Amino acid sequence: MLAYIGRRALLAVFTVWAISVLSFVIIQLPPGDYVTSYIAQMASTGSVVSEEEAQALRIQYGLGQPIYVQYAKWMRQVMAGNFGMSMEWRRPVTEVIGERLWMTVIVSVAALLLTWALALPIGIYSAVRQYSAGDYAATFVGFIGLAVPNFLLALVILYLGFVLFNAHVGGLFSPELQDAPWSVARVWDLLAHLPIPALILGLAGTAQQIRIMRANLLDELRKPYVVTARSKGLSEWRVILKYPVRVALNPFASTIGYTLPYIVSGSIIVSLVLGLPTVGPLLLKALIAQDMFLAGTIVLLLGVMTVVGTLISDILLVWIDPRIRIEET
Amino acid sequence: MTDLVGKPATRERRSRFVIALVVGLLTTLVAAGALAQMGKGGLIGKLEGPSVVTDPAQFPRTLKEAPQLAELVKAGKLPPVAERVGQDPLVIKPLHEIGKYGGTWRAGFTGPADFWNGFRCCSGPDHLMFWDYTGDKVMPNLARGLEMQDGGKTWLLQLRRGMKWSDGKPFTADDFVFWFEDVYRNKDLVPTPSATLAINGKQGVIEKADTYTVRYKFPDPYFMFPDVLAGSTDLAGQMFGYRAMGGFAPAHYLKQFLPKYAGQAEVDKKAKDEKFDSWVRMFLAKNDWARNPDLPVLSAWKTVTPINTPTWTLERNPYSVFVDTAGNQLPYIDKVVLTLAENLEVINLRAIAGEYDYASRHMDLGKLPVFLENQAKGNYKVHLDPGDYCDLIIKFNLNYDADPEIGKWFNTADFRRALSLGIDRDQINETFWLGTGTPGSVVPVDSNKYNPGPQYRKLWSTLDVKKANEMLDKIGLAKKDAQGYRLRSDGKGRLRIEIMTLGGQFVQYTQIAEMIREQWKKIGIDLQVQEVERSLALKRTEANEQQLAAWNNDGSEHLFTFPLHVFPYELAAVATSGPHYVKWFHSAGAQGKEPEPRMKELMEKWKKAFGVPEKERIQLGKDVWRIAAEEVYIIGVVGQGPAAMGVRVVKNNMGNIPSRMYNSPDGKTPGISRPATFYWKN
Repeated sequence: MLAYIGRRALLAVFTVWAISVLSFVIIQLPPGDYVTSYIAQMASTGSVVSEEEAQALRIQYGLGQPIYVQYAKWMRQVMAGNFGMSMEWRRPVTEVIGERLWMTVIVSVAALLLTWALALPIGIYSAVRQYSAGDYAATFVGFIGLAVPNFLLALVILYLGFVLFNAHVGGLFSPELQDAPWSVARVWDLLAHLPIPALILGLAGTAQQIRIMRANLLDELRKPYVVTARSKGLSEWRVILKYPVRVALNPFASTIGYTLPYIVSGSIIVSLVLGLPTVGPLLLKALIAQDMFLAGTIVLLLGVMTVVGTLISDILLVWIDPRIRIEET
Repeated sequence: MTDLVGKPATRERRSRFVIALVVGLLTTLVAAGALAQMGKGGLIGKLEGPSVVTDPAQFPRTLKEAPQLAELVKAGKLPPVAERVGQDPLVIKPLHEIGKYGGTWRAGFTGPADFWNGFRCCSGPDHLMFWDYTGDKVMPNLARGLEMQDGGKTWLLQLRRGMKWSDGKPFTADDFVFWFEDVYRNKDLVPTPSATLAINGKQGVIEKADTYTVRYKFPDPYFMFPDVLAGSTDLAGQMFGYRAMGGFAPAHYLKQFLPKYAGQAEVDKKAKDEKFDSWVRMFLAKNDWARNPDLPVLSAWKTVTPINTPTWTLERNPYSVFVDTAGNQLPYIDKVVLTLAENLEVINLRAIAGEYDYASRHMDLGKLPVFLENQAKGNYKVHLDPGDYCDLIIKFNLNYDADPEIGKWFNTADFRRALSLGIDRDQINETFWLGTGTPGSVVPVDSNKYNPGPQYRKLWSTLDVKKANEMLDKIGLAKKDAQGYRLRSDGKGRLRIEIMTLGGQFVQYTQIAEMIREQWKKIGIDLQVQEVERSLALKRTEANEQQLAAWNNDGSEHLFTFPLHVFPYELAAVATSGPHYVKWFHSAGAQGKEPEPRMKELMEKWKKAFGVPEKERIQLGKDVWRIAAEEVYIIGVVGQGPAAMGVRVVKNNMGNIPSRMYNSPDGKTPGISRPATFYWKN
């Protein structure tokens, strides 16, 4: 087991390195650099940046150097725990991301919990009572949830919330508590703002998970071991929950791999529409502004999360499902 | 395989078409509703605003201050108000009445790039000279006066005696000399000297005449100098401090960040400790009005929590030199809170919900009906502030050479004129401006002093499909293909022209260009619309790859301080009329390409105007616009509308709000209406 984890971990480190190279190159791909996008931004507000000034800016930011030199410089900093300065925010990257990271985790975990809390029971019910009215209803709602783009749902809910309930528009806090230090009132305010984003973010995932749970469980329910368990006289719920459900949970475990980065990046468009102070909109803006270090750090973070997530799900799978054998070498 | 590749593209095109159709339909419906309402509402009011009092006889005798400052004075933490303001206060007569102290002004901003937002609302404005509310006349502002000497070669700027920085240190001529000698002339900080401090390409100097008098000396007469100090230029106060401009800077504070005073080693160490890449970046950050709360300022409000945090907060400057006619130190409102909104939809929705007290930046004209519908619920009123400029222009790139055929037509005046005649401006005005704009050429509003005459509004700028077709036939584009599109003269098929547009701007360039594409079908011109991202647009204009580009010419109403959308003046632009001409113009003919005679005439007249007295300058200005309208180097489509920051949403209980204000980047609108005089009635 330990050797298995060790091998996996080693591979993970290599993957992270590859991701860092790739992300750096991809961010460099579009024409121009931070300075061009900065000049363009100035131009659309009526200011003007001269060519010489642009050149000076490029030198200040080290943008004139060849890409591998820039990469090496960045990597050296990253190793030392310094992710560089965000060019657009003009603050250290760690500070810019840090304050949003926790908000992202809170929103996404809420969405994830909601997804599971809804999807697991409904999925089990749909499978056990296949083709019942309840199954059809769940399927119907599920497909609607899957088909409606969640940013559209966000817009509609935002508008309805405003028109019907006069709710505060967007964000995770009321304006007066935006910058307040943490207090009971602020936590309560956060909790009050949480359900809508969590619901919108979770809905599509819920529909998908219901379908997965239902399909897996249906496969399992027809297997002989279920019949055996039943013939031994176990109660119906015990039969279902103890054996087939446990097996059907496999896909949930293996999705943790991409659930972790999802927790960080959130759903970019939904966060943008709802005005959530999460990492998603930050990444989008950083990419548009070609803010190298900020975008690079976020992409790297997402890469690391995916790798760690995959590692965790590999281990979890072995633990949940004894049928997965580790071949000893 | 080809099938697999082909399908998504068609599907995408189709869905884009459907979206365009739906959006178009909705906009038209909504427009109809809005128009019906507008007739009654009278959304465009009378141009009005506060004024600067220059007659010392009318100055207030005693000064008063906000209650919380009075308490600080009582506690001995702050000198008395008279001492803080000095002997020569900047007296402003509020628009309607003397206001009351207190309250917070809530608004939104979109991130660190949105710094104009705060400068416009809260800087005072802190220009040395500034415009009156009509945007036409230059008045004293932070400076008490400006005196011309030596036939326009020397200018004496009189400062206010006893005026102070926000930290209580005196504001004197030394701050100008410091900026000029140690900041402006430091090649690391300012690699390229500013054109605003030069006449005919020759740099001027700044000297100290005495503690409260600054002398500017130029090699040639510089009659435009007052306008340059008043406009949003490099000498316009602390707004451009983040790029080492401004015309003055707080010497006592900034010296600690300059190697000359603090020593190279010390400055480098400081930069490293604060995680800056270099001392230059640190210096620029320290001199940034929006970012550094410690920076001494002269503005009415000052930054307390910086722009690179989720809430950009500004508080009253206790040393503000602005006072009202009753002697109350301004501003009235204690605090301005700008909250970060991740996108424009959220900003608009928050304004509609009444969560902002005053908002005009980022308000979308297309949402006007929704704004109006919720006026009562949100306890606000909507005003429209049309600009004096053209909201939508189309630039021909006269230097386009990637396809010589297209370049040839762009340089044919009748081709440009015919294309202009092929645009149905009324349809565009009704659909996208809800009828609030004025269709016409590029010339500024009729009341502008450089407007060449009302006939130039319509010159080559009305819909005349028949004439356009005749003109195109005549110049050698008579042959058409089976679909009715004109063929190239070199026999290489259909004449296809591209227009470059940018999304996510104040004006919906892409959607409007799509409409023009439909309209130009009637004159047999095949227009391809290409929406690009901003950096890409810039790259393409610089590389001379742009054919047509859509933009607006805001700022051009101040022809001489903002020429970049009148003729090819700036290389780094998101829309260009010809990058080679720009180089020719700035190198005095040494580089680039010599423009055609009429363009040359236009450029020469513009340049000449800086060195001549005002009367002559006005004539030259009119000539510039006349040539621009006759030659149609740039097509004007719809202008004088409220599309760019002209939809203003203000709470009903906010006082001294003009019913219409001058809307322009040079006027830092709403700065021109002196937000320091806005107040809460209850």
